[in-house]
Amino acid sequence: MLKYILKRVAAMALTLFIILSLSFFAIRLIPGDIAGQGAAPELKAALEARYHLDKPLLEQYVIFLKNFLSFDFGESINLYPRRPVFQIIRDKIPTTLQLNIFSLALTIPIGLACGIAAALKKNTWVDYAISAMVVFNVSIPSFVFATVMQYIFCYKLEWFPFLLELEDSSFSLSKFWSMILPILALSFGGISTITRYMRAELFEALNSEYMLLSKSKGLSKLQSTLRHALRNSFIPLCNVIIPMFMNLLGGSMVVENIFGIPGIGSLTSASIQTSDYYLTIAVLFFYSCISLTSMLLVDLSYGIVDPRIRIGGGKVRE
Amino acid sequence: MSKKLVKLEVPAPLDVEKIMQEKIPADQFEKVAGEKIFDQKFEGEAIGFFKDAWLRFKRNKSSVVALCIIVFIVFMAIFGPMMSKYHFREQHTEFGTLPPRIPVLEDFGIFDGTQQMELFKADLEMEEFKDAVVSIEREFIWKYKNKEIEKVIANINMYEYTGAEDHYFIFGTDNIGRDLFVRLWRGTRISLLIGFVSVFINVCIGVTYGSVAGYYGGKVDMIMMRITEILGGVPFLVMSILFIMVLGAGIVSFILVLILTGWIGMARMIRAQFYRYKDYEYVMASRTMGAKDRVLIFRHILPNAIGPIITQATFAVPSAIFSESFLSYLGLGIQAPEPSIGVLLAEGQRVLTTSPHLTLFPALIISLLMLAFNMFGNGLRDAFDPRMRGL
Repeated sequence: MLKYILKRVAAMALTLFIILSLSFFAIRLIPGDIAGQGAAPELKAALEARYHLDKPLLEQYVIFLKNFLSFDFGESINLYPRRPVFQIIRDKIPTTLQLNIFSLALTIPIGLACGIAAALKKNTWVDYAISAMVVFNVSIPSFVFATVMQYIFCYKLEWFPFLLELEDSSFSLSKFWSMILPILALSFGGISTITRYMRAELFEALNSEYMLLSKSKGLSKLQSTLRHALRNSFIPLCNVIIPMFMNLLGGSMVVENIFGIPGIGSLTSASIQTSDYYLTIAVLFFYSCISLTSMLLVDLSYGIVDPRIRIGGGKVRE
Repeated sequence: MSKKLVKLEVPAPLDVEKIMQEKIPADQFEKVAGEKIFDQKFEGEAIGFFKDAWLRFKRNKSSVVALCIIVFIVFMAIFGPMMSKYHFREQHTEFGTLPPRIPVLEDFGIFDGTQQMELFKADLEMEEFKDAVVSIEREFIWKYKNKEIEKVIANINMYEYTGAEDHYFIFGTDNIGRDLFVRLWRGTRISLLIGFVSVFINVCIGVTYGSVAGYYGGKVDMIMMRITEILGGVPFLVMSILFIMVLGAGIVSFILVLILTGWIGMARMIRAQFYRYKDYEYVMASRTMGAKDRVLIFRHILPNAIGPIITQATFAVPSAIFSESFLSYLGLGIQAPEPSIGVLLAEGQRVLTTSPHLTLFPALIISLLMLAFNMFGNGLRDAFDPRMRGL
């Protein structure tokens, strides 16, 4: 098991190294001058010294790596001038996290329920209806959902406020009310992903031989489904649910923009639009860390939940 | 029966070596069966792999409908811009943000180019509103600095109002008066182009990479799979934003971004197929007969994967289109003047309440396109591999 973990961590470190190198070269290669055109030579020299641009490329690279690995991302240039990037990101995390946790809390139970219902009632109208919903939800992008819902429920019917309410940073009912639409928009895709997996896994489990055994030893259908089939079909689901967190973060980029939520997502697009490269790259680094951690968690949880994989050392993904 | 041991007479073992070396003249051989073959003749024509799949595909009505939608959208993406008399860059600044107006439907009161506007009642008498007012929704009193001003919400025929009676912008126009119909199909063309080209290249890379890794196995496979694992760990979002920031947003850089990690899924699938088929007897037979690796890979093993390849490629097209419009939303869209569906959507989102038609039509097309591709892919998967049905 230890060898397995070490192997995964080593692969992760390499990936992180690639991301950091890409970021470094992206910063270097982006066209434009740090001081702006026609700036005084003294200013330019001072700025270059400040951002270590006067040193050889290799040394710059080492400084860059060192800074990033110690979470020192420098300062924002255009969007929030002279504020440390780390602080900006730290301030934005709670909103995004709140949104994502609510969305997961909605996604997972509904997805599981739909999947179980579809598998138990396979080839009936329940199954067909849920399958149609899945195709529909998978196909329609979250930003289209968000836009359409915003137009209908916020503008035409005026049930919900147009943008997120921001008066108080603490949590309140009216804030939750204004978060409902973004949460829904984020959840649609995830629900159908979980439903699809759950249905496939449970259906396979229901047709397996141990179910025949449990039936033949006299367990009722409810007992055998709950104790045996469901439990086994949950194993592959951790492969879906943990990365879903990362997908939600990605999805919330656009949804946050649409509903004016001041989270990491809107920070990303704002930093891109104002060409605040240090900020952008720091945010991307943040995303990469979350994504890599979640992938590691998937691998480890797989090893813990299903011992066959641990022994095989590395799973065969198809 | 008495128990008597019977000693079986064991025939002396054949000396195979000796027989093999013996030369027997051909006329000593005799055919066991006669010339006549007693097998029943095949009736009907032989059904090949693709015909079989097509027969099964045809039975799935929703997939056939999806295929028709795809064909229609592709047709419109190619020829749509030619059908209109406007050009996608042609601006009519005086006809900005006109709602859609469609020749026949306007007589029934839908898509007739009217828009609700809030006006002062006194303005209704003005020259430009005189003919344009279709109906008055309601009147109300607006209190402003202790004055009571009469206002109305009226349906205004925007075409009369702006003097564009002779024009039919069937999907409406954007804020500088460019025809949305032409721009939308033009954008669909770009989005489809990005989708198809990137998927095609991904299939080529993925098939080659996966075949080599799967066929040779062992060390080669291990190293190649480690590479995909490390590359695949880089989140798509991070990689695409970094690359587009450096390369600038254009068709080529979008395709490049989609290729960078897009081939990995295909490579993994192909590798798994090779692991499944490479130990089959027919492969061994062919190898014994002296077939080269190249022949074994491409002639004998790879064709087994043709179904999954086509299915997976079909599913990859909508996700490429989705990625493109997603990046457009983040402000990394294709540069003007060239539109793409994502750019149009992102532009429309900003003026959602005042001119919803700018969001409606691109949203409709992208949703239809993605729905159709996913349903088509489902149909293909069921047709190529009936065991997977409904999963």
